Amino acid sequence: MDLGFLLLQLLTGLAYASTLFLLSVGLSLIFGAMGIVNFAHGSFYMLGAYLLYAFTRGQAEAFWQGLLWVMAAGLVIGTLVERVLIRPIYRRPEEYQILLTYAILLLLEDLVRFLFGAGYRSFPFPPAFSSPLLLLGTAFPSYYVFLLGLAAAFAFLLWAFLHRTRLGTWVRAATQDREMLEALGINVPLLYTAIFGLGIAMAAIGGAALLPLQAATPGMAVDAVINAFIVVVIGGLGSVWGALLGAVLIGLLQAFGILLFPEMAMAFPFALMVLVLLLRPWGLLGRPPAVRT
Amino acid sequence: MRLALLFLLLLVLGPALGEYGLKLASEALILGLYAMAFNLLFHQAGLLSFGQAAFFGVGAYAMALLVSRAGWPFLATLPAALLASALAALVIGFLSIRLSRIYFTMLTLAFAQLLYAVAHKWYAFTGGDNGITDLRPSGLLGESLPFYYLTLGVFALVVGFLAGLARSPFGYALRGLRDNRARAESTGIDGFRHLLLAFVVSGAISGLAGALQGALQRSVFPDYLFWTRSAEAIISTILGGSGTFLGPAVGGAVFLFLRVLVQAKTEYWPFFLGLLLLLMVLFFPRGLGGIFTEAGRRWSTGVWGGAARG
Repeated sequence: MDLGFLLLQLLTGLAYASTLFLLSVGLSLIFGAMGIVNFAHGSFYMLGAYLLYAFTRGQAEAFWQGLLWVMAAGLVIGTLVERVLIRPIYRRPEEYQILLTYAILLLLEDLVRFLFGAGYRSFPFPPAFSSPLLLLGTAFPSYYVFLLGLAAAFAFLLWAFLHRTRLGTWVRAATQDREMLEALGINVPLLYTAIFGLGIAMAAIGGAALLPLQAATPGMAVDAVINAFIVVVIGGLGSVWGALLGAVLIGLLQAFGILLFPEMAMAFPFALMVLVLLLRPWGLLGRPPAVRT
Repeated sequence: MRLALLFLLLLVLGPALGEYGLKLASEALILGLYAMAFNLLFHQAGLLSFGQAAFFGVGAYAMALLVSRAGWPFLATLPAALLASALAALVIGFLSIRLSRIYFTMLTLAFAQLLYAVAHKWYAFTGGDNGITDLRPSGLLGESLPFYYLTLGVFALVVGFLAGLARSPFGYALRGLRDNRARAESTGIDGFRHLLLAFVVSGAISGLAGALQGALQRSVFPDYLFWTRSAEAIISTILGGSGTFLGPAVGGAVFLFLRVLVQAKTEYWPFFLGLLLLLMVLFFPRGLGGIFTEAGRRWSTGVWGGAARG
């Protein structure tokens, strides 16, 4: 195993971590601020991939406009879903949230199967990133660089939004104490709509950005949502940086685990999730829940 | 008494069902077992497990491995499956019950998925994603009618046991813990041990259901352990109504029959199920049991109008 090969695995792991971060960070915010367990989150990731395909008609040249359209569509769809379906169940117990979001998962899976068929849909690398890069004598897809940049840009924008804008401060406040926020006269339902729309848009972007690397199928949502939960639980429910850390950990664990223990690589993320929940249930970067009386 | 009548009806109905009907009825009974096992935790103890598939799968794999690798007769594997899943539930429950609410749910989910990943890849032991096939029980139980009676017998035993459990001091203690843990514990109830015992009993029954399902399908695959299988227990329970004793079993049966009906017409059963769940969560949160209770109440009071939805 030479250095170039290890570097390739590292980059593969980080590229995977990039899409995983985009997928999971919204789930984390939605749970942290709204207290909603969203089992449909992976479905919007899947939908993002299919929307990119639909908007570009599979043409690599249209990738960039396609990505913008996916982001806009994600915002609109997320906002609508929150308004129509999620809003009635805020104060309902978890099992109803799980069932309702599971229902959305089933509906979207079949809707996509109906519209696009059950087969794989793949997409070429966009023209600017179509040729491989050479590093230490190993060729790797230059598209990895774009993925890393995309995730870094979103992480930075999200940080700036949460810590440098008033709206972001409210979002952070919502993860701490909803009632207090309401008492201060903030329109919390509107804030929730914004958070949900943002989270769904990022998941859709993540799914779209993965498409050139991995073909989409309607069934990818059931795996994606579990991966997102792994990342979010490891990093800490409600924590943005936790989602980033969790995504990087899972990305690297996958990339190197498959080299060292190909038979058990699939079990590693779950083992890590179990371990974190046992030792630090609120996640690596999460906060222990305040004691409520 | 009403339960006894129901079982008598199911008993007499057997020969009239035909090959396909018997299979479907057996599967409904098995799903009923599984959902009622889930509801023991959910309704009595107030624990939302999202890892019930772990025990369903462990029971199924215990049966399958003993039949195919060790050559045990199918019937002898049932106690073994019960024991194996109880043991798995003891370990997982011991570690999970300490966590509160959403963390408990997430940890049970993680354990079940961990087992799924292991079963999926450990080709030497579990056959990996090829599963274990060719599991037709030898002798009479390979026929549909005797197998249906076996399933019905197991179902009746478990239902009787659960009915007794709900009325026992143990059942009262569980509901006390569910409603107010601190207050229940201050009366001297050991919360952890009670919840752990409930978890083990629920796991053991789920494992029994898994073993029966494997024999019915003649095969066991890793998807017995997959998280959507855990979701099926929740769906059946809420569909039938968790607050009604037989609700989860009725919900499971309705779920299966609807699937058969819809799948005969279209391949888009998941879409239909999604729509059903959506309407149920938004408009009939107490499930079929709640609808019937409400209808019964209105029947006896003669009030049918009004704002409340039935």
